[in-house]
Amino acid sequence: MIPIKYNLRSLMARKIGSLMTIFGTGMVVWASIFAFGLYGGLEKTFNTSVSPLDVLILRQGSTSETASAVTEAAAREIMTFPGIATDDQGNVLAAPELVVISYISKRDGSGNANITVRGVLPNSRLLRDNFKIVAGDDFRPGVREAIVSRALSDRFQGLRIGEEFIVQDKPFKVVGYFESGGGTSESEVWTDQRVLAQVANRTGATSSVQLRAVSKDAQQQLIDRITADEQVALKAVTEEQYYSDLAEQSFFIKMIGQIIAFFLTLGAMFAVANTMYGAIASRAREIGTLRALGFGRFSILAAFLLESLVLCVLGALLGCAGALLLGEIRTGTMGGSFTEVVFSFNFGPDVLFKGALLAVVMGLIGGFAPALRAVRMKVVDALREV
Amino acid sequence: MKYLPLILRNVTRNKIRSIFTGSSIAVSLFLVVMLYSFLSVQDANNEASKVHNRIIAMNVQGLTGDVPIAYVDRIRKIEGVRYAVPYSWYGGMYKDDKITFGQFGTDANSIMNVLEEYKLAPEQLAAWKADKTGCVVGSILARNKGWKLGDKVPLKGDIYPVNLEFTVRGIYEGSSSTDREMLWFHFSYLDDSLKEINAPTAGNAGIVMLNAESADIMPDLMKKIDSTFASSDAPVRAMTEKQFQQSFMEMMGNVRGFIRYTSIAVVVALLCVAANTMAMALRERTREIALFKAIGFPQSTILGLFLSEAVAIGLLGGVFGALGAKLLFEVVDFSKWVPGLGWLYVPWSTALAGVALATAIGLVSGIYPAWRAANVSVVEGLRKIV
Repeated sequence: MIPIKYNLRSLMARKIGSLMTIFGTGMVVWASIFAFGLYGGLEKTFNTSVSPLDVLILRQGSTSETASAVTEAAAREIMTFPGIATDDQGNVLAAPELVVISYISKRDGSGNANITVRGVLPNSRLLRDNFKIVAGDDFRPGVREAIVSRALSDRFQGLRIGEEFIVQDKPFKVVGYFESGGGTSESEVWTDQRVLAQVANRTGATSSVQLRAVSKDAQQQLIDRITADEQVALKAVTEEQYYSDLAEQSFFIKMIGQIIAFFLTLGAMFAVANTMYGAIASRAREIGTLRALGFGRFSILAAFLLESLVLCVLGALLGCAGALLLGEIRTGTMGGSFTEVVFSFNFGPDVLFKGALLAVVMGLIGGFAPALRAVRMKVVDALREV
Repeated sequence: MKYLPLILRNVTRNKIRSIFTGSSIAVSLFLVVMLYSFLSVQDANNEASKVHNRIIAMNVQGLTGDVPIAYVDRIRKIEGVRYAVPYSWYGGMYKDDKITFGQFGTDANSIMNVLEEYKLAPEQLAAWKADKTGCVVGSILARNKGWKLGDKVPLKGDIYPVNLEFTVRGIYEGSSSTDREMLWFHFSYLDDSLKEINAPTAGNAGIVMLNAESADIMPDLMKKIDSTFASSDAPVRAMTEKQFQQSFMEMMGNVRGFIRYTSIAVVVALLCVAANTMAMALRERTREIALFKAIGFPQSTILGLFLSEAVAIGLLGGVFGALGAKLLFEVVDFSKWVPGLGWLYVPWSTALAGVALATAIGLVSGIYPAWRAANVSVVEGLRKIV
């Protein structure tokens, strides 16, 4: 094999050209990571909202809580079903919750969005993993107080601690910030279920029931039992299913990301091929010498593919570093059912890896034709070239 | 001009390199043009709809708020209003579709007068009016779903707890700037179905769409509508159709910013790619340039020759990429795979802007290599062996 030092030194010999190529591929990797990171962030938000044993009960036919309604009677009956987990005081881990939409202005003046206001019960907190109050206080039951996530409070007017926002026509006061491990709850405003039901004129009905099963088997039994009851016309889905359906509704964002990555990678492949053709053309004599010294065709092919790969991987590193330098970018979009989902771009290892993988594809495919040309050179001709 | 053959010869001298550079630019420009068309077509359509003087009245709490159906008649009676119709988003699911399309419960007697740029054959309109469960669908939607007059279209309620089955009674047409992927049905059909099951969501018109007698009276008319319902249970906010569309885009998040960042990354990457190509050309031709200078060509000519070559490659890539995008959207209809994109096409202005951008990229990328070429030392250059 030809030592890799040869390739590295060759790259060094054409500093500007190599740097240009690295920088070009770096930009492409960066842009692709940016595009992947957008959907990745949304997907991550949905995924972290999932607790594997949780079940969500909605009205039959509705795909989101906003459009769902469950009567109080049905909710109460469901909570007596066997197979539901309990907390340390022996209360069932199930909560009928009410979802109301409030139309709130963004802080940066770029319009309004529908914000999910969720009326919760004490148990709701246990049903979200990692729920905790991080600033201020929890809301007091019975009064119009609310808690929100910090991300939401930064994005929308009236949602910082001490500020007020309107639901229907009644003001609610924000008293604290909560976290729930980055899930969709962090795109919601939480308040007392009873208070919200009164304000929204929806006493006696809730939007959905959240519950946690004791085991996977119990989960399936609960789902079967609720679905089987034609009378109440409810549907039960695992939280996993619910959120993957929601994510699917944002397929447009995913598709755009893939289209962007595809075209940019294709464009970059041509550029890499160009660089490698240039490298090989100007080194015909060297290649001839290598062949004359006894290096086989395969060694030559491998060496030039490796060189192109090195270029692209360096570009990928640059692109990844560029993405990481951006830090945490918070953004929001309309998730399922016209409500705002706040999330951060995901520049996690999986997304960076996908970007880097594109670079490897660029390097291998872009470098292949030039490397093949290097292999095909006749030793005699190559040595004769000036 | 007399140098044109020389420039073209230089461009085609290293064919592979020019083709690859051009392709890299073309593929990337294709993407940028496509992304920007998304924005520019939307803007153009919004602008085009202005002549119809339409106003949308929606609940101050946004799209999810109630607008009682009685408001339609009250609005119709306000002076300056020509026609007013309810426009209620049903959001049902067709078969196994995961994504819904626009289905609106409206008033068959006036909808064609409000959406006056849409065309529906009079006998089809009459057939629709005569059938309570009848519906009218857009030509693109009908083609993509394979619906013909008389076909049944069953939809599963998502937002509303009722399933509706429609019969296609008409297929409407419209110009390329219109949305031909909607389904219109009788509001009363949805509302009566809701009343049958005593659903609390009955009687909600969703939004009211109306057209004003003239553009001048629109600001006053909107104020009048606002004040008419200001002290009721469901106050509404009237806005122009354009404002309504914008508020919808805003809910999608920072789409504009996202497209801009991606495009900037693409442009920077292309600058590197094109500059690299010119640098390679320069390296190969150092001796030749020195010879040119030795026989008396001034620096400015050498500079001009190199810059023209860079511009020519950029232009070539731009023409293929941007015009290719235009052509592709003329020939292929993407709404088959991506529902809701039937309105997308590449406008000439965007395609030409793409060509201009590619030319500019060529020019800028050529500046440094051209300057280097112009300053090649005759003695050094002649002595140089590539």
